[in-house]
Amino acid sequence: MQPIDPRIPLAAQTRRTFLGAGLGALASGAGAFSLGGIALGELVANSGGVVDPLAPRAPQFPARAKRVIYIHLAGSPSQLELLDYKPKLAEFHGTPCPEEYLKGEKFAFIKGHPTLLAPQFKFQQTGSVGMWTSELLPHLRTIEKEVCVINSMTTDQFNHAPAQLLLHTGESRFGAASFGSWVGYGLGCETRDLPAFVVLVSGDKTPDAGKSVWGSGFLPSVYQGVQCRASGEPVLYVKDPAGMMRETRRATIDAIADLGRASFARHGDQETEARIAQYELAFRMQTAVPEAMDLTRESPATLEEYGATPGAPSLANSCLLARRLVERGVRFVQLYDWGWDGHGTSPSDDLLTQLPKKCREMDQPVAALVRDLRRRGLLDETLVIWGGEFGRTPVVEYRDGKKDFLGRDHHPHAFTMWLAGGGVKGGTVYGATDELGYRVAREAVRVKDFQATVLHLLGLDHLRLGYTHAGLNHRLTGVQGDALVVRGLLA
Amino acid sequence: MRVVVPIVLATILAVVTAHAVVTPVADTRIVERVDFANDVLPILAANCFRCHGGVREKAGLNLSDPARVRALLSSGHTPVVPGKPRESELFARITTSDPDERMPSDGTPLTQREIGVIRGWIEEGAEWGTHWSYTALSEPSVPRVNAAAEQWARVPLDFIVAALHAKEGVKPAPEADRASLLRRVALDLTGIPADEATRAAFLADESPEAYAKLVDALLASPAYGERFARLWLDLGRYADTQGYEKDSHRDIWAWRDWLIAALNADMPYDEFAVRLLAGDMLPNATEDDRLATAFHRNTLTNSEGGTDNEEFRMAAVFDRVSTTWQAFGGVTFQCVQCHGHPYEPIAHAEYYAFLAYLNQTADADSDDDAPRLAVEHAGVKTSAPVLVELAAEARRSTRVLARGALSAPGEVVQPALPRALYACEAQPADRLAMAQWLASTANPLFARVAANRAWETLFGRGIVETSEDFGVMGSGASSRALLDHLASLLVARGYSMKALLREIVLSATYRQSVVASAQALSRDPDNRLFTRSPRVRLEAEQIRDQALAVSGLLSRKVGGPSVMPPQPDGVWQVVYSGSAWTTPANEDRTRRGLYTYLRRTSPYPSFIAFDSTSRETCTVRRLRTNTPLAALVTLNDPVYLECAQHLALAARAEMDDAAAARLMLERALGRSATLEEVARLTQLITSERARYRGHDDLATLLAGKAAEHSTDLARDAALVAAANAILNLDDFLTKS
Repeated sequence: MQPIDPRIPLAAQTRRTFLGAGLGALASGAGAFSLGGIALGELVANSGGVVDPLAPRAPQFPARAKRVIYIHLAGSPSQLELLDYKPKLAEFHGTPCPEEYLKGEKFAFIKGHPTLLAPQFKFQQTGSVGMWTSELLPHLRTIEKEVCVINSMTTDQFNHAPAQLLLHTGESRFGAASFGSWVGYGLGCETRDLPAFVVLVSGDKTPDAGKSVWGSGFLPSVYQGVQCRASGEPVLYVKDPAGMMRETRRATIDAIADLGRASFARHGDQETEARIAQYELAFRMQTAVPEAMDLTRESPATLEEYGATPGAPSLANSCLLARRLVERGVRFVQLYDWGWDGHGTSPSDDLLTQLPKKCREMDQPVAALVRDLRRRGLLDETLVIWGGEFGRTPVVEYRDGKKDFLGRDHHPHAFTMWLAGGGVKGGTVYGATDELGYRVAREAVRVKDFQATVLHLLGLDHLRLGYTHAGLNHRLTGVQGDALVVRGLLA
Repeated sequence: MRVVVPIVLATILAVVTAHAVVTPVADTRIVERVDFANDVLPILAANCFRCHGGVREKAGLNLSDPARVRALLSSGHTPVVPGKPRESELFARITTSDPDERMPSDGTPLTQREIGVIRGWIEEGAEWGTHWSYTALSEPSVPRVNAAAEQWARVPLDFIVAALHAKEGVKPAPEADRASLLRRVALDLTGIPADEATRAAFLADESPEAYAKLVDALLASPAYGERFARLWLDLGRYADTQGYEKDSHRDIWAWRDWLIAALNADMPYDEFAVRLLAGDMLPNATEDDRLATAFHRNTLTNSEGGTDNEEFRMAAVFDRVSTTWQAFGGVTFQCVQCHGHPYEPIAHAEYYAFLAYLNQTADADSDDDAPRLAVEHAGVKTSAPVLVELAAEARRSTRVLARGALSAPGEVVQPALPRALYACEAQPADRLAMAQWLASTANPLFARVAANRAWETLFGRGIVETSEDFGVMGSGASSRALLDHLASLLVARGYSMKALLREIVLSATYRQSVVASAQALSRDPDNRLFTRSPRVRLEAEQIRDQALAVSGLLSRKVGGPSVMPPQPDGVWQVVYSGSAWTTPANEDRTRRGLYTYLRRTSPYPSFIAFDSTSRETCTVRRLRTNTPLAALVTLNDPVYLECAQHLALAARAEMDDAAAARLMLERALGRSATLEEVARLTQLITSERARYRGHDDLATLLAGKAAEHSTDLARDAALVAAANAILNLDDFLTKS
């Protein structure tokens, strides 16, 4: 694909890039990034003479998934209590961690020589496929056949913010473009009444890395994630001012448009026409966003299946909203749920009490979401992603020597994520860790491999989805270009 | 100036290449000498460097390195044999008809003209040359123009523009009307519309000097420093927090106030730059000189558990290197951190040699941002982190880091400047000497980058459009003569930025109307020939400042701690921190945008919608997007509604709806309203007045302040709706 060029104003660059690429592909017959089925005339007409940077675009090659719901458990749940079953860890519980693991090892909080900690919950193979799953995930067992568990994820960041940034922007430092931004940049959006990239946050707090994990970085800001909120205004400034009647808003926008056209007649500035179109979109968004975000429109049976309660921010509500949003054409829905950072320093991060509580809030709605997407015929084209930013240590963390609670420290060497839906091999477990769950034993999946694979499922070649900024050709998967699509995850 | 016009003759002859592939090639003899930098380098940059540059060096070939271009490759071929195109592998590979052999391998073949240039260059001896922006600055002569153009021109730069117009066969637009010019120049020089007194004085003054007097008044206004400080806050990645996960509060606003004061005092730009980079090392450095160095203490600090302080200290130093070159050199240096520059003549080790100048300061990655300097500003005692040079015995040695990784240290390097820009043996000894070189005419980029930034600020687009990249992959200059003229002017006027800006805004080029003639639209659709004044959407801060100003709400208090104006509840959610967004009841609610508290992980949402940045790294140039989310801000943000209510309040005394509409339009737009505008707004007031009749409760809510002591609530609400529309007009959001 031809990257958008920051040297040229956005209107002109989108015009040049998309038209240029489209015509080039037409002329050469090559598989270059092209406009696909979108007629140029239509794009231009819909955007007042300026090609719309969010107009839907065909993928670079046939896609398995058209949209993404990414459930991020911020803080990172313990893979050793949920999906990576390690009986040996129970056998060696309480013994010092073998020296060979600790050479050159840095922990975020653990000090001194740590001891191994047994899995704290029972694992069974009682699901539909027979994966080893924890008793904390009874609902997941009902959707096992849809799920591809990756037990061999690995990262090189062991603090929350850099690890979240690496996962969501490809860089551990601030300033790069997020996953959803890249996808919006590559594919545009199928609806113009809602943003291309929506973010839903539950668990009271935003992720550690703040809004940067859904920022557009060096990409044009039009691609940044839009946070939709469960209470208050669903999107910032979407509600008319207090006392303004809807008809009055309509009338003001009509007046703005009429005087905009008069200005256009004087100056011939295409940005003026584009602005008129954007105000019209804003008006439609004012209706479409609250409608999409209104859970009271769901049946009591659906609300019950998800465990959702309209009005209260919760992961259950976010899951149900995610389905409503992808149904309406949103390209990328990013969920963040805070509260998974199980260090064992207080009741709020205790492995024995907080983790089961968080799992109860998470397990049912996530399974309901996958089932609901399947039922509605959406799962085949929707990729669902689940996971944290790193794993938890096989060793116990007793912060400052206190043993009132139980927890594990941050662990970059091995963690678990799962994928379901669009083009993923369901009912499988990919990769494995060693007997103590310390390091990946086979089929390691680095963060950039995971990213390349997700882009591949969306019909985007991670090497050809680039953007030149400050002299570098940036890619989600990094400038080195050594990420690999993990074929073993593909159906 | 280009000196070469390659002429392609239509003679076809057979060329026998090293691969014995017989290819018909047009004879592409050049009648004048080929200039490497002007003619050859752009072709290599666009077609070859991606694979055969400083990063990939495919087949061992690096075409950005003059020595290696003429050296034998391991394949037994020589890329370029001076004087002998047919023995040069480069020429063979761009002309072969074998698609497996032809270069570029994944792109379209070179055009006959391009092949002709390469051929001519090799024939003439394949001499190397320097990219234009790396060559010494010299003042171009002012071109001769015809009588009409001479009549039009007001200052020397106009002659250069007129010559460009004559060459391209286009004409300039007529001069803008006085009201439009007033609004434009006030927004450009002070960021806000002119106050009523300045405006009235200008419009009443019929003398030929009226405009120059206006310009002088604007340049002398304290708002000038605020306007240009905003640019430096972006370049210097200023924020009120430390960044990373905790993103804790950082006191560093005193540096912002230093910027405003230095700009208002018109500190010569070379001295300004030296102070930012090394004010602490000046002989007899004052407190202000030291404070200036907080520029490079705006880097992020990571106070998260278990982090390696040295890793994040180095991250800050990397950022300082990159920011220094972006802000003062227009060179993309960041990529050389990991490997040789892909297309500029800068080697990997040279990056670390330059970094060595910035690697000797006492700061580490620590929570308290030590060392700090205690200062008193705007009557408030505060402090700011500053640069302090390590004592001689504590100096660090700097090593080359392969791939930028601390875990891969290589050879030790001594401080040195990149050879492409500095050919002498004797290197500047320390950070101060480096800064003094960087901020001088010995650095060919310094004045050019500054002059380009001034032009970009006024015209919305630089003469070099990629103001962050003056190198071979940048956009190039739309007029090198114009750029070099302005850069020379800046130097000649003792680096006075005000003098440079004054010259530009007094020019006939600047004073043109925005209205494009049919000829200009067809011949110069992107306005690269300066055939009219550009129409540019205002910046995030300007949009809010302007709305506050025209409704009479803008506080003119200068400086002091950052402020927390109203923002929606719930935006400010901070992990692990009790800090709160507390909006004061006093004038700090309505200060200029540059004083708004900037938390990197949660920037002010209404500014982000208009393309401001979270200031994690140096921003040279903001892109301008046009989105529905931006529309929602100016339509519905309570700040803008409050502005609409105050604007309506000012118009309420006008009994006639048309008169009220006219008053609001003219206040907002700073020009007379057209009949059409007045009629359309009057229609809106009429329809909404009818709609709100009998809905006093809603009318009271919408009208707010405008409903105080009301006799006609429906009318007040209708006026607020009209004011709300006015604050969203394309002409209001755009500079024209």
